[in-house]
Amino acid sequence: MNRDRNLDELIGADTTGAERERLQRAHDMLLEAGPPPELSPKLEEGPTLGMTLQRRRAVKRRAMLLLAATLAIVGVFLAGYAVANRGGSSPSAVKSLALEGTVVAPNAQATLEVWQSNADNWPMTLTAVGLPPLPEHRYYEVYLVRHGKPWGACGAFRAPENPQQPVTVTLTAPYTLRKGDSWVVTRPGTGAAEPGKTVLRPAPVTA
Amino acid sequence: MRKDKGDMELAIEVPQPRLRAVPSEPVQHPVDDSPSDAQLLARVGERDREAFEILYGRYVRPVFGLALRRLGDRGHAEDAVQEAFAAIWRSASTYRPERGAAGGWLYTVARNAIVDRLRRMGPTVDAELPELASVEPGPAQRAEDSDVAWRVHRALEDLQPREREVIELAYWSGMSQSEVAQYLHLPLGTVKTRTRSALARLASMLEGEL
Repeated sequence: MNRDRNLDELIGADTTGAERERLQRAHDMLLEAGPPPELSPKLEEGPTLGMTLQRRRAVKRRAMLLLAATLAIVGVFLAGYAVANRGGSSPSAVKSLALEGTVVAPNAQATLEVWQSNADNWPMTLTAVGLPPLPEHRYYEVYLVRHGKPWGACGAFRAPENPQQPVTVTLTAPYTLRKGDSWVVTRPGTGAAEPGKTVLRPAPVTA
Repeated sequence: MRKDKGDMELAIEVPQPRLRAVPSEPVQHPVDDSPSDAQLLARVGERDREAFEILYGRYVRPVFGLALRRLGDRGHAEDAVQEAFAAIWRSASTYRPERGAAGGWLYTVARNAIVDRLRRMGPTVDAELPELASVEPGPAQRAEDSDVAWRVHRALEDLQPREREVIELAYWSGMSQSEVAQYLHLPLGTVKTRTRSALARLASMLEGEL
């Protein structure tokens, strides 16, 4: 329990006059405010992906309308294409995502394309560039993000020695995907001293 | 008779406070050359994640403290922090410096997010009215307390780590200044001087708009 504090005990009795009154006000406010709360490890880590994945409602609504219109056009086009090319079709991505490097890998960028599923196995193609190579036996990991948090592993890969050389890998999300799902790429940590870090996350949608 | 240091260490049982890490080397004061809250908000409005992380570092304790006082539950308060910062990210571009200080704008956005969560939590009080008048502070007093705590906790973030450490020890560790001096291995006079210097800087920050 805190002891009663008086200003003289804390700073001595040398300060007088207006300066003393200023310090007394700050002292009183400190006593009134009480200690700052102790943060949980989760809050200490910094902002979460979920904080920045949410968009303004109006923008989201417009984006959803645009997406619906785009999907309708694509649907019509695909239907026509399928009719015109019966028996021979090439796959098309059902979702494309641009990823940008975090402060951990600021020069990295990537695209992720999710293809039509087969029994809730969603094949994905990730093409990344600018990722620094990792030590032997260490891998970048791709995670499905749900509700702002890494939710399910989708695969791992290694980056080339030359970060400027793009790497393309095929992965799978063996989950039932939901609206709002997203993906991040993480770098492994080295234990408690250095936890794993997100190196690629969805780039903000520009209006 | 004056005791030597070894005797003192045996004689006083010093409580071990939980403090944030303090760098071993003195650091430059961050206020003068670091971006203002208003500048950071403008950058966040342009989706600058680095600016958002700096802003988060400055405000996570005040926001969490505010949420804890209003919600009274750490789990709900943590969720409210998430929602408050998500709201700040979404709305930063609407901030207009000419309409007021960034600290006030952030306080309003955070408070609204916390109130939204409070509403979603639903009524938590018993239906029966108490027979005696409550001695708890009323809404107005609680709001004022929240405002003071918000401003003080925000200002603490701008102190040098060594100044913040001595303030936390002096005010909330339960130690006397002699015990603080022993804990920090510093002369008592240095601890008092550092406390006075930290208080003076806090006073300057609290007198101005945050």
